[in-house]
Amino acid sequence: MPPGDGATPKIDFRRAAKTFAVRGQHVAALAPIDLAVRTEEFVALVGPSGCGKSTALNLIAGLLRPSEGQVLYDGAPVDGLNRRVGYMTQKDTLLPWRTAAANIGVALELACRATSRREVAERVAQMIDLVGLRGFEHHYPGELSGGMRKRVALARTLIYEPECLLMDEPFGALDAQLKLLMQDQLQQLTRQRRMTVVFVTHDLGEAIALADRVLVFSARPGRIRAVRDVALPRPRDVFKMRFTDAFGRLHEALWNELKDEVAKGVDV
Amino acid sequence: MTEAAISSHDGAPRAADSGRAVLVGQIAVGVGLLGAWELAGRAFGHDWTSLPSLIAVRLAAWALGDLAGHVLVTVTEVAVGLALGGSAGVVAGLALGRLPVIATVLRPIIVALYSVPLITMAPLLILWFGLDLEPKIVLVTVVVFFLVFFNTFAGVGTIDRDLIASFQLLGCTRREEFLKIVAPASLAWIMAGVKIALPYALAAATTGELLASRRGLGALLAHAAQQFDMTGVYAALVVLMAIGILVSEAAAWIERRMLRWRHAAG
Repeated sequence: MPPGDGATPKIDFRRAAKTFAVRGQHVAALAPIDLAVRTEEFVALVGPSGCGKSTALNLIAGLLRPSEGQVLYDGAPVDGLNRRVGYMTQKDTLLPWRTAAANIGVALELACRATSRREVAERVAQMIDLVGLRGFEHHYPGELSGGMRKRVALARTLIYEPECLLMDEPFGALDAQLKLLMQDQLQQLTRQRRMTVVFVTHDLGEAIALADRVLVFSARPGRIRAVRDVALPRPRDVFKMRFTDAFGRLHEALWNELKDEVAKGVDV
Repeated sequence: MTEAAISSHDGAPRAADSGRAVLVGQIAVGVGLLGAWELAGRAFGHDWTSLPSLIAVRLAAWALGDLAGHVLVTVTEVAVGLALGGSAGVVAGLALGRLPVIATVLRPIIVALYSVPLITMAPLLILWFGLDLEPKIVLVTVVVFFLVFFNTFAGVGTIDRDLIASFQLLGCTRREEFLKIVAPASLAWIMAGVKIALPYALAAATTGELLASRRGLGALLAHAAQQFDMTGVYAALVVLMAIGILVSEAAAWIERRMLRWRHAAG
């Protein structure tokens, strides 16, 4: 079980809601939600498109301010950009004029975590191996497939080992086998480095395989419809665990919550 | 038979063949047009149109004479104006792109200045700076400045807000944001601005020389025109055309080298 019980939650939504003004109309993206993420916990958010999952991540990162309520990080309200989180957005924000290796190393070049050139090169090489991009170090993003770009973005986020990772559908563009491999790597890495993770995905199986807790969001405006603890032991075998009974029962229970919302979320 | 021959090739050699065929066609059209000009001139008189053969002879004579000196004058005006106007345009474009409030305040002035057809400033500049290189350099500088400035400014504006936000989350300072994102992202736009500015720079330099000058290709052209020396006019135009082609090819080459990442995908 993850530690941190009783202590201040790492991330704490207190009746936090977000409303956007679109052409003069108010659109509620996120209904007031309460959600406490413990330190070192791995929480997965699943739900239909446009249910406010990304909005929740943006609130934690401080890219957005809540319209109501509060979002606390380490017990203090998030005020301005929250630099303690590493955020892998849905859109890849690679620099097109830098090679894959140079993109991965960019965080270590910044003055706030000045690192010697030799160490940058070493750690970039490690990350390249980790995300399986050996041989593509010197390719520009324009020469890489969508899945490869995602892996570069993942490596760029992981390389500086932020204490908290926000991930918005990081593996959506990958093929099935690679997805499993990356899930396995992510599980090992985040447990080893004791990161707190908030992971947004469409893939229920992925959510169960990785998370300590899965939250099902309802269609817009997003609210938390169901919460399930995933009491499967770690380390988990992401390749085989799908065929276990415990996994099957959880999947079934969560899918029952999710399927109505998916139907509602589809714009006809 | 020809069909069989064509289909026996695979893609690459056929592409090379068709590339060569196009080149042969292009040369044939060029030679044909020059030949038609020569024949028509000989048949119907060439007082107003000169002849390719006469132009070629004149170019050879100039080459032995002072052509290099005139070319040097024009090219100097273009090069110095490009360097001054280009760098000022880049600096101003980047600065105002990063300071949107000041940009908004200055906007009417910039638009008003740019709305003057810049070439019409030539008489004013000649009165201020005389008949030598200076007024043409100033004119080229002004023309290049505006084109590079507008492109750079637009380039800074197109930088993805999410990209900036994600780097701010990584912890980059405003200076790092500029060095690692804004400047390299604007480079493609700056290069585009310079490429657009090149023919205008050449036009500005020669227009300045046409109006009042003793040296330069524009002066050579004006001198020939004043004496109804049609062959001289065409010869000067041929030299200007050659310089224009060289300059724009050089710019395209530099752009390809500097923006290798853009062409890497294609």
